[in-house]
Amino acid sequence: MSELTYVRLKSKKRSERTMNVITLLVVLLFAFIVLFPIWWIFRTSLMTNPEIYKYPPSLIPENWLFSNYEKTLKIFKFWKYLWNTMVIIVPSCLAGTFTATLCGYAFARLRFRGKQLIWTLCVGSMLLPVMVTLIPLYIGWTRGLGLHDSYLPLILPYFCGGGAFNIFLIRQFILSIPRELDQAATIDGAGYFRILFSIIMPAIKPAMIVVALFIFIGLWNDLLQQMIYINSSDKYTIALGLTNFRGQLKSDWSLTMAATCLSFAPGVLFYLIGQKYFVEGITMTGIKN
Amino acid sequence: MKAMKKGMMLSVVMILILAMIVGCGSNNNKNTNASPSEGKASTAPETTTEPEKTSKTEKVKITYSMWGSAEEGSKTQEAADKFNATQDRIEVEVQAIPWENYMTKLNTQATAGQLPDTGILKEDGVIQWSSDGMLNDVSSMYEGSDSKPLDSLAYKYQGKTVAYAAANEILLLYYNKDMFDKANVPYPPSVLEKAWTWDEFVAAAKKLTNDKNGKHPGEDGFDSQGIVQYGASVENLAWQLETWALSNGGGFYNNDGTEVRIGEDASTEAIQKVADLYLKDHVAPLSVGQTDDGIQRTIIAGTVAMATNGQWNVGTSLNAAKEAGLKYGVAVLPYMKEKVTLNTGGANVVFSQTKHPQEAMEWLKWYTAEENNWGLISSGIWMPILEKWYTDETLTHKWVDNPNFPPYDEYKSAVVDYAQSSAARPASWFFTNNTTDFNTLLGSSLGDVWTGKTTAKDAIAKNLEALKAANKGDK
Amino acid sequence: METYNKPPQRRSRFLSSEASVAYICLIPAFFGLIFLTYLPLAGVLGISMTNWTGLKNPEFVGFSNYIKLFTTDPYIKDSIIATIYFAFLSVAGSMIYSLFIAMLLNRKIPARGFFRAVFYVPFVLPAVAIYVGWSWLYEANFGFFNYLLSKVGLNKILFIADSSYVVPSLSLIAVWLSGNLIVIFLAGLQNVPSIYHEAAEMDGASGWNRFWHITLPSMTPIIFYNLLLSLIANLQVVTPALALTNGGPGNSSRFMTYLMYDQAFVNYKLGYACATTFIIFAILAVFTVVLFKTSNRWIFSEGGDDK
Repeated sequence: MSELTYVRLKSKKRSERTMNVITLLVVLLFAFIVLFPIWWIFRTSLMTNPEIYKYPPSLIPENWLFSNYEKTLKIFKFWKYLWNTMVIIVPSCLAGTFTATLCGYAFARLRFRGKQLIWTLCVGSMLLPVMVTLIPLYIGWTRGLGLHDSYLPLILPYFCGGGAFNIFLIRQFILSIPRELDQAATIDGAGYFRILFSIIMPAIKPAMIVVALFIFIGLWNDLLQQMIYINSSDKYTIALGLTNFRGQLKSDWSLTMAATCLSFAPGVLFYLIGQKYFVEGITMTGIKN
Repeated sequence: MKAMKKGMMLSVVMILILAMIVGCGSNNNKNTNASPSEGKASTAPETTTEPEKTSKTEKVKITYSMWGSAEEGSKTQEAADKFNATQDRIEVEVQAIPWENYMTKLNTQATAGQLPDTGILKEDGVIQWSSDGMLNDVSSMYEGSDSKPLDSLAYKYQGKTVAYAAANEILLLYYNKDMFDKANVPYPPSVLEKAWTWDEFVAAAKKLTNDKNGKHPGEDGFDSQGIVQYGASVENLAWQLETWALSNGGGFYNNDGTEVRIGEDASTEAIQKVADLYLKDHVAPLSVGQTDDGIQRTIIAGTVAMATNGQWNVGTSLNAAKEAGLKYGVAVLPYMKEKVTLNTGGANVVFSQTKHPQEAMEWLKWYTAEENNWGLISSGIWMPILEKWYTDETLTHKWVDNPNFPPYDEYKSAVVDYAQSSAARPASWFFTNNTTDFNTLLGSSLGDVWTGKTTAKDAIAKNLEALKAANKGDK
Repeated sequence: METYNKPPQRRSRFLSSEASVAYICLIPAFFGLIFLTYLPLAGVLGISMTNWTGLKNPEFVGFSNYIKLFTTDPYIKDSIIATIYFAFLSVAGSMIYSLFIAMLLNRKIPARGFFRAVFYVPFVLPAVAIYVGWSWLYEANFGFFNYLLSKVGLNKILFIADSSYVVPSLSLIAVWLSGNLIVIFLAGLQNVPSIYHEAAEMDGASGWNRFWHITLPSMTPIIFYNLLLSLIANLQVVTPALALTNGGPGNSSRFMTYLMYDQAFVNYKLGYACATTFIIFAILAVFTVVLFKTSNRWIFSEGGDDK
């Protein structure tokens, strides 16, 4: 190694370090801004209702009313709602991720007649807001299939490709994998399914986890459909449970916010676990080299 | 790209073909019911034609839907259990639906013929539901009873009573007594005869409005951007504005709700006066009219000295605030030309899709008897609907003498007497069709009036034709 | 689309099995597209030709709902403008924000895992809490932001109570919420083969150069996806209007999907709402086609078919 390169690398290291310090400062600043509204929600969960409306507004609760959480848990049956929500989410996540991967693979790698048409229909279905087909679907599920007060209308759609957005995401990720990789396998005599399972899937694991995460969050917060399809209160989910505090003409915001603070924990937890695979797992990309 | 265009074209063609298949084959379309164009795939008749055989031993099952929190739902179920125990023919099950999505859910259920037997309905949709044949006539409900609901609480369509309000509510003027004492301003009157004129109201509000240097509006050096305490706040939800239009000699509609009167000068002038509280008089905060916590933001928070709002606030927030030390009072509304307050109340209806209208009515009659929903009345959220509670003083005492309420005399004259005076008029949705649509459009038309970008007169003139069309139900 | 195949040049026995594998993979999607999308959509098209209120029996009215939408509807024009304005601000804002944050979070900083979670949290929160929380910050008279403004001696801003500020205010929330885009970018950044970076580093390419010539091009499929996701999601925006503004003040936040929701579920105009749906559909289709059309020029597709 020449002297010159050595010096350059050394100065590079130093500038790298200053860059990292600047990065950290910028990230801290943004993190502060992003967390502020969340702090606002959290501090509300520890206040009395009159205190929420006080002027000037206070950043820190006068008394930290952790008793709000006790009160909340009496109405907001967290574990039960969590269980109910999981009954919907777990099959949906698994089926949605799997079928989205199958479809994404077909669109990204395979050649077949009608691909263009099906793909266009798939993209077209992304353009429809959920609300648009809500009423025909409701009529179909209840009158057509007789499913009343059931989770099935919420779960079954995820067995059908997991939504066009997710198929699309998988497809995009598969497209960014060098094609030589599976071509080599084809020459070795591997079938298309084997390529999918042993080459593609490991390579797009980050994307699959992201898809599972999005299905999770989407169902976690999908108030509209859950409200339409679920009637009895012992089938309530987390999203529906959050409406428990909105009474006749009045809303108990501090308890709603306490319930909110309780209920977003599982989503963050899922993220933290998933993060290990889709952002920390850099070695995985080694497969390409 | 050519291929893509072709794909798009194909998908459009496919939709059209599917639409035709589904639209024509009305027999095998259970999956989507997309044949409404045929006009026969509907809901109500099929379910009503087949009365269920009910033997003496088996109880008739009825579902009652209500809006509210989990707690309110279980309280209502408790009441229903009591009802179920009093007789052996009817079994009522309560279905509590989140408040915000209540009508969304009911409307969706209606499309598929999945409605409950009976339930509460938001005020603005009652006549619409009735005109579409979704509600049963309940005129006979109180036949032979000793006390009937107040006349003003009956929803009427084509002369028939299609629902009674579940509760009574009127609009009031609330005030924070400490703020008045501090500014040395006399309290607003609780007696109708002494009601403040609009100008007196504004004058009092000016004395109660301070900027950060303690100056009042109209004084030299008053800083309208630095107001720390406001004198008054008038809720500007579309339906509540009708009070002021009526008070100024105008109105939203004529007496039977068939003609729109909101374009008249008296009506627009009244709305402008409400807007001017913020824009010109500088005595009011900007009222956004999108939330139901007006009283908490104003009277309870101590930021505004007087505020108009519904009676229900006594039970939803003021009772707790009183317990925590707030001194508040109730007064009658100020007036422009005529003394007016509106009364209203969500409707208890029997859906025409039910197989058991008689049983449903029986339950409703039992449930709306004050003794059976006493919790809501004693807390102050609901006012009784039967006349006797207003006229029989011992019953009035039973209702009002409890720590949730302001002093008896004050509440008696500002609420109980006010509610049955000539000033109390039913909100137009008791007899007018399409009020949802009308109020949405009115609210949207007035959006820039509150911030002073346009005037009420111009804003309404611009949308008058559309408002008239909305009233006619031009769908 | 951008990777449309040329006729394959393989042996035919491969072709047939390749196609059948594809069809097997696509069975779920077939079901979804037919029964959950296009059949219901056909139903919507059918309903749009009627005057159904959702309650009484519908009557066939032909195209009159569409004619009314284009002639006398008091909302639709404002609604389209508001939606496009909102989508423009939110897409631009959240794309720049999320790519920037993802790049920062991809560097080796302390507590990286924690920070990555921080920026993602807003996306997880339920809509009700988010919008109520922000409404207290934005409140025109006593809100926290206005309190800060008055502390530094500035005039109040009415935020969501003022028709000129409401859309930018809501867009700011949308940008704040774009944690999902950050996640996708972060996942995508892992796909940038590090061997390229190492090579470039040896060549002495500066950070900026590396970003411009290596990171960005290999990220283009992901950028495209995020752009599409955020464009469609923001053109379909409805929650802020539902939870916070009710479409106001005036029509300044009466976004198209909210308008449709209001007609269908609140104002008893189901037939009319279904007609509105197809306007929304058409507008979204135009934007999406334009995006796809221009995408060929800038997407760098490593694993794509022959280009």
